[in-house]
Amino acid sequence: MKRFVGMWLVIGAVLVGLAALFQAFYLAAALASAVAVRLGAPGFYGSAVANTVTLMVVLLMTVAALLTVAERKWSAAMQDRVGANRIRVFGTALGGVPYLLADALKMLTKESTYPAARSRFLFELAPVLAFAPAFALFAVIPVGPDVQVLGQKVALVVASPDVGLLWIFALAGLAVYGTTLAGWASNNRAALLGGVRAASQMVSYEVSLGMSLVGVMLAYRTLNLQEMTVAQGAAVLGPVPALGILLQPLGFLVFFTSSFAETKRAPFDLPEGESEIVGYFVEYSGMKFGMLFLAEFVEVVILAGVVTAVFLGGWHPIFFEGWLKASLPPLVFGGVCAMAFMAKLVVLCWLQLVIRWLLPRFRFDQVQALCWKMLLPAALINLFVTGAAVLLDPSLQLLAWIGVAEIVAIFGVTAAAARAVAPAHAHEGSHPAHAAGH
Amino acid sequence: MPYQLENQPADVRESLYFPEVFRAIGIVIRTFWRNAFFSRDANPDVLARDLSYSRVTTVMYPEEKTTYAPGYRGLHRLVPRVDGRPRCVACYMCATACPAQCIYIEAAEVEGDPIEKWPTRFVIDELRCVVCGFCVEACPKDAIRMDTGLHPPPTYERTGQVYDEKRLLRGPPVSYDYDPWLRRGAKLPEGDMKRMRDLARPFAQDAKDEFSQTPGFSVRALASEAKGRGDGGS
Repeated sequence: MKRFVGMWLVIGAVLVGLAALFQAFYLAAALASAVAVRLGAPGFYGSAVANTVTLMVVLLMTVAALLTVAERKWSAAMQDRVGANRIRVFGTALGGVPYLLADALKMLTKESTYPAARSRFLFELAPVLAFAPAFALFAVIPVGPDVQVLGQKVALVVASPDVGLLWIFALAGLAVYGTTLAGWASNNRAALLGGVRAASQMVSYEVSLGMSLVGVMLAYRTLNLQEMTVAQGAAVLGPVPALGILLQPLGFLVFFTSSFAETKRAPFDLPEGESEIVGYFVEYSGMKFGMLFLAEFVEVVILAGVVTAVFLGGWHPIFFEGWLKASLPPLVFGGVCAMAFMAKLVVLCWLQLVIRWLLPRFRFDQVQALCWKMLLPAALINLFVTGAAVLLDPSLQLLAWIGVAEIVAIFGVTAAAARAVAPAHAHEGSHPAHAAGH
Repeated sequence: MPYQLENQPADVRESLYFPEVFRAIGIVIRTFWRNAFFSRDANPDVLARDLSYSRVTTVMYPEEKTTYAPGYRGLHRLVPRVDGRPRCVACYMCATACPAQCIYIEAAEVEGDPIEKWPTRFVIDELRCVVCGFCVEACPKDAIRMDTGLHPPPTYERTGQVYDEKRLLRGPPVSYDYDPWLRRGAKLPEGDMKRMRDLARPFAQDAKDEFSQTPGFSVRALASEAKGRGDGGS
C-alpha cells in the first residue's frame, strides 16, 4: 500500500515539476525572442534558438536517455521481475535512474575499435546519419501552444513550417541511410545483412507510413503540426473534440504500426536479430555504438511525439480545457498544456515498450506481408473513405461517426468470445484416475 | 501449470492478428500495473508469498535468502561438548571415509586421562570438499555435522577456505547418555559434568529422530554469530 501511494505521489510530483519546467521553457523562449527583436530580427528566430536548446537538447535527450533505464525497469515489471537496482544512492535504488550515469560513463570511456577493412568515411558518418534525422524530427513537433509571455508570442516548438508532415516524411526517409551505411561500411557480412534488411524493411514501411497520414491531412486541411493540433481542439460530436484518433482510428493503427517498424525495435527488430544475424552495428563500439543505440530511443520518443501531436490532440489537456484557459494565467496555462503533451508522450513511449516486450519477432516474410498485404490496403481504404467523408460533409461529423464505428468494430472484434485457452481444472478432467488418487 | 493445447487452425479473428495483439497488450498492462504499483512480498519462502497484488517472485539474494531444506548439507561444524571442547575423539574415521581427502587431523592424549584422545588440529579444506556428507555418516560420536545451513563464504585467498578447529567449533553443545566421558567420570569440573549429564539424551536411532537435529538450532543465529566474528559468515 505504501508503494501504491508513493507511485501516485511520484507521478503527481513529476507532472507538477513538468508544468513548472515548461513555464521556465516558455520564459526562456520569450526572453530569447525579446533579445532577437531588440537586435532587429523576427522574434521567432530567438525563440527557435531557445527552443532548440530547451526542447531538443534538454527535453528530448533526457527523455530518450531515461527510456534506456525505463526499458529495464518497465520490462521487469511486465515480466514479474524487479529490474536494475544494484546501483544505490544513500541506500535507495531511485528507480534505477543512476544507471543512466553508469551507462553514459561506460559508453564514453569504452575503447573504440575499428575494423581494418572499413570504409573509413562512411563508417564514421553512419552513426551521425542514424542519429541526426531522428533528432531533427523533433523540431516540428509542437510541445506547447502559442502563448503571450513578456509581451512576446511564443510557442514551445522549434519550427512550425507549413510543410510539417512532409518534413517528417523526408527525415524519416533519411534515417534509412544511417543503418544501411553502418552495415555497408563495416565490411562485415553479418552487418551488411542487417543493413540490407533494415533498408528493405524501412523502405517498405515508408509507403504505408505516408499513406496513413494522408487521411489526417485531408481531415484537418493542413500539413502544419501546430495548426493540426489547434484543429483537434474544436468540438465535433457535441463536446467531444475532433481528435485524430476519433477521426482516423484506422489511420492511427496503420501509422503507429508502420512507424514502430521504422524504429527497428522488436517485434520488427530484424535488422539486429541477435539470434541469427547480429545487426548493422556489430562493428561499432564505444560512443559510436551509443549513438546508434540512442538513436533508437530518440526514434521512440519522436514516434510518440508525432502520434501525440497528430492523433491524440497534442498539447490539448482535453479535460477542463476551457476552464483551465479561463482561470489560469497564460504562462501557467501554457505550462499545463505542455505537461499534458508530455504525459501523453510518456504513455505512448510506455505503450511502445509494452509491445516491444510482448510480441515475438516476425519472420522476414511476415514483416513484408504485414506491410504490403495488411497495412497498405488498410491505409488506402482509409484514405478513400476519409476523402469521401470529407467531401460529403466538410464539418467532419460524418468522418467522426465513421471513426466511432471503426473503434466500436475494433473493440467488438477484440472482445468477441476468445478461445478457452486454459480450461478450468483441465488437468483433473483429462486424468480422472489421477484426480481420484487425490 | 502445464496443460494440453490442441493444435487447431487459426480462426478469422486470430489471423487478423491485431485483435489478439490488443488482448495481449491488455494482459501485459494488467501485469505491469500489479507489479509496478504494489509492493513485492519479500517472504524468503517464495512458495508462501502472497501474489494477489504484486507477482514478483525475485529474491534479492545477498539481502534476502531462501530457506534450505532441513537435510541441506552446508558448511561443516565440529559439535562442541558443554565444557567447550569438541566431541571429536580423533578416531580418523571421517578422514578415512572422506573421498576427497580434505580432512586433516592431529590427535593428542587428553592430559591426565589414560584413555581419551582429542584433536589438537582438525582442518577441513572446503575447496577440496565434495560435500558428500560421508564424514557425518562415518562419525561414531556425532562430532561433525553439516547442519549449519551455510555455504562456505567466498574469500579473497585460498587459505580462507581452509577451516581449522577454531572456526569449525560452533553451534549449540550436545551430550548423549552413552558418552564415555560421562560414564567414566572423566576429570571435569563438577558443574560442567552435571550440566552434561542433565543435557544427555539417548542416541538417535534414525535421521528423522528429533534428537538428530539440534533443538533450538538457528541458521540465522549462526550466521550473525559468524558475521560478528568477522570471518564473512554470510
